[in-house]
Amino acid sequence: MSDHNGEDRSITAVGMRRDFGELHAVDGVDLEIPGGRIFGFLGPNGAGKSTLVKILTTILNPTAGRATVAGYDVQKQGGKVREAIGVALQDVGLDPLMTSRELLMLQTELFGTPRDEARKTAERLLVTVGLDDVDPRKRAGAYSGGMRRRLDLALALVHDPRILFLDEPTTGLDPASRAAIWEEVRRLNDDFGMTIFLTTQYLEEADRLADEIAIINKGKIVAQGTPSDLKREVGDEVVELQFGSSADAASADAALAAVAPNRQVGGRELRLYFGRAAENVPELVRVLDGAGIRLQGLTIEQPSLDDVFLRVTGEALEHEVDEAGDAGSAPPDAERAEVTS
Amino acid sequence: MNDILLLIGRSLRVAIRQPVAILPNIAISVFFLFVYNSGLSSVAELPGFQGTYLGFILPVSLVSASVGGAGLAGQTLVKDLENGYFTKLLLTPTRRLALIWGPMVASAIILTAQVVLVMLLALLMGLRVATGPAGFALVVVLAFLWGMAFAGYAAFMALKTKNAAAAQAATFAFFPLIFLSYTFVPQEYVTAGWLRVAATINPTTYVFDSMRSLLNTGWDSTSLLVGFAVTLGFATITGALALWAARGVTKMTS
Repeated sequence: MSDHNGEDRSITAVGMRRDFGELHAVDGVDLEIPGGRIFGFLGPNGAGKSTLVKILTTILNPTAGRATVAGYDVQKQGGKVREAIGVALQDVGLDPLMTSRELLMLQTELFGTPRDEARKTAERLLVTVGLDDVDPRKRAGAYSGGMRRRLDLALALVHDPRILFLDEPTTGLDPASRAAIWEEVRRLNDDFGMTIFLTTQYLEEADRLADEIAIINKGKIVAQGTPSDLKREVGDEVVELQFGSSADAASADAALAAVAPNRQVGGRELRLYFGRAAENVPELVRVLDGAGIRLQGLTIEQPSLDDVFLRVTGEALEHEVDEAGDAGSAPPDAERAEVTS
Repeated sequence: MNDILLLIGRSLRVAIRQPVAILPNIAISVFFLFVYNSGLSSVAELPGFQGTYLGFILPVSLVSASVGGAGLAGQTLVKDLENGYFTKLLLTPTRRLALIWGPMVASAIILTAQVVLVMLLALLMGLRVATGPAGFALVVVLAFLWGMAFAGYAAFMALKTKNAAAAQAATFAFFPLIFLSYTFVPQEYVTAGWLRVAATINPTTYVFDSMRSLLNTGWDSTSLLVGFAVTLGFATITGALALWAARGVTKMTS
């Protein structure tokens, strides 16, 4: 394990599993994350990202498997783990009736810091996350979404943790707030050698920040590597062709087999993966024209999470199902119910 | 100990910021005291009635104040669970039970303040405590213990349901507890058999008895023993339930 100042900053998991009734939220995850890295955990809603974070941060017991964080067993040495880690969960945890300074001071003091020092820590962290110029009497309940995220991040940092867990830190944020969080994450990693375990649904986020990415789907890690490795597997650019019917799309898929070896059909759309898309477009049009298939639209895009997904799972992201799950019912609630019962 | 003090302080501060959660409860207690005392005080003229009607109805007001104040513990917990702050606290090295005790003790402090306030109001209205200052103190202690018993119940419901509406609804248990008893008239004037049965089962009856003996009739060791035994028994049961529910919520990893 690569250490910083002789302290263990690694995260490991072996055969990690967590069931919620019939649902295998985390289904046999192995991890070996050396200290000082930014590790991106990428996957759709309901893939098991939050469940895994909750297990690694001692909030939830696993059904099976073992994990260590900062060298401590998450089940047997929960207290030690909590002293070493900072956690900002997807659901921001702030008491809406308290001010930023009250929240920061209480959190700092609960980590055993004396009051005077806690006051300094609170002021320092407010500067760090750019909330120092907010009216000190303003309560967290009156903060905007972006401010709440930043305050929540500050709360995760009160005890100078060696490892920081960020569960979807920028979901739902505007681009400016997102960029600010990215910058802060980079800085924490550069300046303090903090190991950062970051979950996200955004390929771009993982791409910008992470030294290494694992893709999780249905509780299993389906791909792992550096961002450039993963993208190279998919292709650098995507050409999306739109047709009038799914029959046309299927015919086009067959007709283009020789031109584009990497293809995915979805309904009336066909996606083709290339190193350089523009060079191939004239040939695509010629082939389709020759086969008498009418093209309705053509766009060139960067590979998305969907594309990496298609590649590694052989199936499209189930958007409706995932979004429904996120909005209320199955996985998040199942998790919450289990955490607390 | 420091972590419990910090969490009690925090619960108190937050409670005071929401006077709407406290004031209606005080208002109801005062309402009981004024309205029933002025409307039903002729009950005291019935043959065999001992003491004043003020001393008789005051325990109803006190139990209402203590039970209402205890509900705050459940409200604080359920809000923390709902808005995720409870998890934030779980991520500190704080002893897990301190997270439950913080709101419980804070609500006990608030309910004691309410009880004392209502008692002082009754003194202003002319209350004479038959057993003197010691009896006065014991009445406060009984109300406090009864409140803690109810706080245990409120915390249990909050931790089990994790839902503000459900936890709020659970505090309506307060109605049968207060009213299915010899609430407004002494036992000997209640003829309805079903109410007599309900009152005998209802633990609040014994709290009323103890308080009324202290306030109206003088030292009565049997009534006091039964009152304290029932209260402590009830508190033990609800406290155990709350701890059991807390064990689930905090996972008790350390």
